[in-house]
Amino acid sequence: MRLLILAVSSLLLSLVHADEPAQGSRLSDLLNDATATGFDKADAPREFSFPEDHGPHEGFRNEWWYVTGNLDDEEGRRFGFELTIFRFSLTPTGATDDSAWRTNQVYIAHLAVTDAARNRFFVAERFSRGALGLAGAQADPFRVWIDDWEMSSAGPGKPWRILADDEEIALELELMPLRQPVLNGDAGLSRKSSSIDSASYYYSITRLQTDGTITVAGTDYRVSGLSWLDREWSTSALAPDQVGWDWFALQLSDGTDVMLYNIRKTDGTADENSSGTLTRDDGSTKGLKQQDFEIVVNDRWTSPEGGNYPSRWTIRVPGEDLDISVVPVIADQELFTTVRYWEGAVDVEGRHAGRPVSGRGYVELTGYAE
Amino acid sequence: MIPATYRASFSYMLRHPWQLALALVGIGIGVAVIVAVDLANSSARKAFLLSMDKVTGEATHQLIGGPRGIEENVYVRLRTDHGLEAIAPVVDGSVEVDDVRLDVLGIDLFAEREIRPFTAEATVPEGGDDSSTQNLFSAFLTEPGSVTMSARTASELGIDVGESFTVLAGGVEFSGFLLGTYDSDQGGLDNVVIVDIATAQAWLGQRGWLSRIDVRIADGDAGALDRLKQSLPSGVRVLTAAGRTQATAAMSQAFMTNLTAMSLLALLVGLFLIFNSVSFSVLQRRGLIAVLRALGVTRRQLFAMILTEAAVLGTIAAILGVVAGTWLGEQLLTLVSRSINDLYFRVSVTAVTVDTFSVAKGLVAGIGAALVAAAAPAIEATTWEPRLAMSRSTLERRAGRVLPLVTALGVVTMAMAALLLLVSGRDLVAGLAAVFLLILGFAFCVPFVVRRASLALSPVARGLGGTTARMAVSGVATSLSRTGIAIVALAIAVSATIGVSVMVDSFRASVQDWLQQTLQADIYAGVQRGAMLPDLIEDLADIEGVTAISTSRRTWIETAAERTQLLAVRMAPGSYAGTDVLDAKPDEVWAAWESGDTVLVSEPYAYQNRVGPGDRITLPTSAGERSFAIAASFRSYDINASAVMISRDNYDRYFDDDGVDTLGFYLSPGTNVDAVIDEIRSISEGRQRLRVDSNARIRDLSLEIFDQTFVITDVLYWLATGVAFIGILGAMLALQLERAREFAMLRALGMTPGQVGSMITTQTGVIGLLSGIAAIPLGVVMAWVLIKVINRRAFGWQIDMAVTPDILVNAVIFAVGASLLAGLYPAWRAARSRPAVVMREE
Repeated sequence: MRLLILAVSSLLLSLVHADEPAQGSRLSDLLNDATATGFDKADAPREFSFPEDHGPHEGFRNEWWYVTGNLDDEEGRRFGFELTIFRFSLTPTGATDDSAWRTNQVYIAHLAVTDAARNRFFVAERFSRGALGLAGAQADPFRVWIDDWEMSSAGPGKPWRILADDEEIALELELMPLRQPVLNGDAGLSRKSSSIDSASYYYSITRLQTDGTITVAGTDYRVSGLSWLDREWSTSALAPDQVGWDWFALQLSDGTDVMLYNIRKTDGTADENSSGTLTRDDGSTKGLKQQDFEIVVNDRWTSPEGGNYPSRWTIRVPGEDLDISVVPVIADQELFTTVRYWEGAVDVEGRHAGRPVSGRGYVELTGYAE
Repeated sequence: MIPATYRASFSYMLRHPWQLALALVGIGIGVAVIVAVDLANSSARKAFLLSMDKVTGEATHQLIGGPRGIEENVYVRLRTDHGLEAIAPVVDGSVEVDDVRLDVLGIDLFAEREIRPFTAEATVPEGGDDSSTQNLFSAFLTEPGSVTMSARTASELGIDVGESFTVLAGGVEFSGFLLGTYDSDQGGLDNVVIVDIATAQAWLGQRGWLSRIDVRIADGDAGALDRLKQSLPSGVRVLTAAGRTQATAAMSQAFMTNLTAMSLLALLVGLFLIFNSVSFSVLQRRGLIAVLRALGVTRRQLFAMILTEAAVLGTIAAILGVVAGTWLGEQLLTLVSRSINDLYFRVSVTAVTVDTFSVAKGLVAGIGAALVAAAAPAIEATTWEPRLAMSRSTLERRAGRVLPLVTALGVVTMAMAALLLLVSGRDLVAGLAAVFLLILGFAFCVPFVVRRASLALSPVARGLGGTTARMAVSGVATSLSRTGIAIVALAIAVSATIGVSVMVDSFRASVQDWLQQTLQADIYAGVQRGAMLPDLIEDLADIEGVTAISTSRRTWIETAAERTQLLAVRMAPGSYAGTDVLDAKPDEVWAAWESGDTVLVSEPYAYQNRVGPGDRITLPTSAGERSFAIAASFRSYDINASAVMISRDNYDRYFDDDGVDTLGFYLSPGTNVDAVIDEIRSISEGRQRLRVDSNARIRDLSLEIFDQTFVITDVLYWLATGVAFIGILGAMLALQLERAREFAMLRALGMTPGQVGSMITTQTGVIGLLSGIAAIPLGVVMAWVLIKVINRRAFGWQIDMAVTPDILVNAVIFAVGASLLAGLYPAWRAARSRPAVVMREE
């Protein structure tokens, strides 16, 4: 589960807003738009097929390519990165062709780098229409890009490439999938609420061996480590009584990968559709329902700009004999993009199946500082 | 406690309210006109700059290309290959909605955060719910014709949010839809519609092309600028945004300078008026002054008293003038902004912005003028001996003695004016300064001329009208100490009338000749902005009776410093004579122009850039800069006069643009022009709205526009004349008051009231006549300077000067009429006075 379309919705609202400023808009209002008629809907399981499904699904309103990773340089210097490209269809059908600029496709990208040694966090954001080659997505050969930021692959079995840069940071990485895509939820159909409409198609590649260069403040670092890819597309996802979510993507030292999300309701409780997927070292998976796991918040962090986020957790999955603590690498990994959220690198310590494990991962927290 | 001297002057003024009022009015009008012109100019300029500022946004530089602009792929490559981020594509142009011209700003909203973040701040009226606002927004990107504009512009156009309207772009109708509005407080968005770049391309016929690319480069980041330059394909250039704004603003600079000069003329006339009032008040109080001096008031105190009087008068008048000027400025603003809109660029001004600097200028000018004007009489008063109860005859004798000195000063001043004209090269401001020196010098000479003239005339007058007439005429000469200034003021106003009329008439005649010659085709059809549809051009060429067609295309080429019009013409066979080649043999010029890398330049271009036949100029073509030889210059009174004319073949070769905006139709003899016009209209009906006119009608329309342009000139010199009129009225009233005893004596000696009245009327008539005649030489010289120096320096035009006698005759008649009118009330008062009462009071 990932940050939803609020980014574009806020942008759109900031252009033509009524008496209510975009900042004050409720997330659920944005993600539960009654006018979504005409778009394709994630309402039943489907066949996934690759590489086609790496490409865009323009019949759906929202879609994203979400890559996060934990990397070290040769001297053990610790970095985290996030590159996300969002795609939105403004209308169910394509626009008229009065100009090459005309399109119903909009792209937004977020780039973030965590430099743990210096306790610094860098963020950049890009917007573009999906026209004229300014931004776009294609399945074969796979490529999704916005301006000069891109994720691409020469073909099946070939590594993925990530290129992105901003004033102080740059990524130039190669990512080799170590696992097959994992279908989350019900064979890839991921329910977000009890409503039949609130679902997405959601798959992940939970381990990609990553090598390349991270540039921070003018210095290049040769880095390697593990990344995680999330792919999701949907038309409407959140219910009116849902305010945000806490999402975890954790890679453990024993080869287990854990994805969990907790959808929070306005009354502070977790939605019963919160769920997760556990991927074992052999590639087999196990779906997790809300009642299968427990997430306890141990500490909180207050953003200097306001907003109070949870910041340390204990996660238990009793059925899997998993009991781990999750700690952010640095406290401040908050993104001041069009929408404010926290997304950052974390360390994992604990026990799994009777043995001690460690690990790394990424956590996303939304709806705490709107 | 107020010193006795000031109480004396205060009570004096109260006893002479007319004189007070006239002095106030004179200087007040002068100040008002200055303030008005200044406010109108600065408001128009400010509105333009505000609008440019808004539309330019945070851009520091702009990338521009050829006549059609820049290919859109250039922009895509800058972003995707070169990773440039703070850049934004723009497609702009003009459209019409309900006959109102609007600027279209076509933008890519996603690129605007760095350049024009305000574009994302449109709102819909309250009551719109979130989902509908989202839909409205997505409509901005996906629905053709969606626009946003300022709330004020929307309400002026009568368009509500959510409403559709018809847009006329390049003669073709499109549908627009108002999505949302911007808060009008933002300013700078009047008559601007903001649309998605796709809509702008469709409306403006710019598919595949951008008008420009806006760039933001951090201050002083020379490296970034260099990298940018290296990323650009040939034919795309970088200009600073500020420089482009300046170059556009500069187009109207000469126009505004001329307006300011005319406003100074009004103050100059006002200056004479206050000089008149103060001198007269001093003269009239010579008895009082003698008493004050006898009572021990020092010269210094006396001087201070008179200057203080003038300063107080000047301050009051200036304040009144500023108030009136602000009002007048609003009236003028309409005229000024209309002229600028017609001639240069679109400027929308809704209100005069009262600018402290303009107000301060007006106040300083008013008070300063009052002090300067009062200085001479004040000095004069201090030279009087206390015991001397100055008689009128002493005064006139003194005036007579000073006269040669003043006259000599006048001659010297005029010589200086001539010298200034000679040495000032091409400087417009110096040229205008010379005009003022000329007027000033002439003013000094007028009294002498009038005195000689009236003395010479008085025997003639006696022969014609008897003693009364003789007394009236010689009275002009013998009362020169008071009437002189009135005469000068009137003469200056009249000469300004002559100068401006001759200039405008000559200009008009030249334009008329030029139009006659230039408009060779029988019919012209075209679009004002954009390009004609190619298939429509083909169909029109097939109309029966059309023997040949000429095409033209007007675009702009820009360099860092200026904007020049590029005129691409395909001439019809045998129509070369339509271009008046000035400095070469036409036969030799045309062959080279059609085939070689040769261009013609307009006369103003040649003047401003100091180039001529044989010189080479560099034009930014689509493939980069290229040098062209100048074959000759040609006459052009086109208002955007700085133009380069290139043959269509060369244009097609070097500039990536196949557009045509105007067609000229040559008809076979005997073809009915109106029938062909109807046919053109019916063929283009529903495809593209064209302007179709016969050459005769274009000629008429052009002259109409010409006349409209000079409406503002008319208004200004009428104001100057108004000041002069009040001057005469004041002088004659004062004279009559002062000579009350004289008139009473004449009455006592048996003159009838009618005779006194007619004597005064005759005298004012003579003043008018002499002023009018004296104004002729100055008027003609002024016309010459305006035509040959000012217009040339301001616009680069050469105009044939033509002085028509009726302008001169009208000017004299006007002068006589104005002074007769001004003399009516004083004459009536003098005639009505009861001799016994007046004589007893004395």
